[in-house]
Amino acid sequence: MQTPVTIPVPVLRLPRGPDGFSRGFAPDGRRAPLKPEVPQIQECPIAQESLESQEQRARAALRERYLRSLLAMVGHQVSFTLHEGVRVAAHFGATDLDVANFYVSQLQTPIGVQAEALLRCSDIISYTFKP
Amino acid sequence: MAMRQTPLTCSGHTRPVVDLAFSGITPYGYFLISACKDGKPMLRQGDTGDWIGTFLGHKGAVWGATLNKDASKAATAAADFTAKVWDAVSGDELMTLAHKHIVKTVDFTQDSNYLLTGGQDKLLRIYDLNKPEAEPKEISGHTSGIKKALWCSEDKQILSADDKTVRLWDHATMTEVKSLNFNMSVSSMEYIPEGEILVITYGRSIAFHSAVSLDPIKSFEAPATINSASLHPEKEFLVAGGEDFKLYKYDYNSGEELESYKGHFGPIHCVRFSPDGELYASGSEDGTLRLWQTVVGKTYGLWKCVLPEEDSAELAKPKLGFPETTEEELEEMTSENSDCIYSSTPDVKA
Repeated sequence: MQTPVTIPVPVLRLPRGPDGFSRGFAPDGRRAPLKPEVPQIQECPIAQESLESQEQRARAALRERYLRSLLAMVGHQVSFTLHEGVRVAAHFGATDLDVANFYVSQLQTPIGVQAEALLRCSDIISYTFKP
Repeated sequence: MAMRQTPLTCSGHTRPVVDLAFSGITPYGYFLISACKDGKPMLRQGDTGDWIGTFLGHKGAVWGATLNKDASKAATAAADFTAKVWDAVSGDELMTLAHKHIVKTVDFTQDSNYLLTGGQDKLLRIYDLNKPEAEPKEISGHTSGIKKALWCSEDKQILSADDKTVRLWDHATMTEVKSLNFNMSVSSMEYIPEGEILVITYGRSIAFHSAVSLDPIKSFEAPATINSASLHPEKEFLVAGGEDFKLYKYDYNSGEELESYKGHFGPIHCVRFSPDGELYASGSEDGTLRLWQTVVGKTYGLWKCVLPEEDSAELAKPKLGFPETTEEELEEMTSENSDCIYSSTPDVKA
């Protein structure tokens, strides 16, 4: 018995996905905000600055330490803990600009060794290595 | 020529989609929010699936998400022990409500003045959104983690489901009115205000109860374990999805299985009809949401009807999209500015 020939319903386009660089909610979108943003009340500017610049300095120091830790990892064996209790080990290669992906080689997975791989950072819970 | 369902895939999440909710119909159309284990719930235009924005702030998997009726506010429940209320127009976080354990479910009242939350701490909490600093009212009684909590009977009552029970509470007195026991884990619950119907899924069963008395109305058995089901606003159909990755559509009156669709690459965790009943959305372990037409072939949203007389001419022309083509190939064919998907002569399978 022949199955009836059907054609799929045509579509104009696919749904648009996230733009990948912002959180969205375009200000010129369908539903523009109803009132203009209230300008923030300025506190004592000098005290505010020093608190802010302290924070910024601390942030910069932490960021520099993190970037140096990534540099130190290059070429080393790193052990990653992923979701659902999965652990994998690999040689760390590099990360991309937003630290969204790790480029690794010789990735030891439960189903074999992958010569080259990209690990999504959103899939990684933690990682550890010995320098 | 018979038409075949073309689901619209909404990508963007990187982990399983565990909950989704539609808003009511607003002057700007209706909206859809999805809860995902990646911690980044997303707001989409309901009829097209177009991404509008991502609510950033949670530090753990988001287990529940909801929109208020006019889609001006969103609420989310997460594994970081907080529920958050968001401005759904700007995407800004309005309130963080601290809990003592993973929060699984959130629901606004009709007037958006109160938020109901429930989670692993087994307590139902009612927050007055006009007094965010005030302590919430708490209702205890559940003996296992709360999976779903909903306002019902014009916000005068509360329905809550844990692993093996569904309970009805009176809002004013904060006491239990009635409860139902199940010998299988309750996977989902949906409340239909018009007709006061409660849709409960457990095991392979899709059961319908009165939301007022909790008395059973009817139930159907599906071919596989069902994780979520939704009743059409006009109560003609219901859709359900679960562990076999398929979507099932049943006639509500006869219980006859009308259609079933493959498409997802993982178990389906949530299914909901849109407020106008023209489409239903499914969220899956595969990290995608898919939109499906209730009436296949109707022109609606991104689906464009092809009339039977135009068939032979249409098939040779461009302006057709095909699900056999992989998502990547379709992405290459569409550009930001083009409205149509062009393809060569279709490969019709006999």
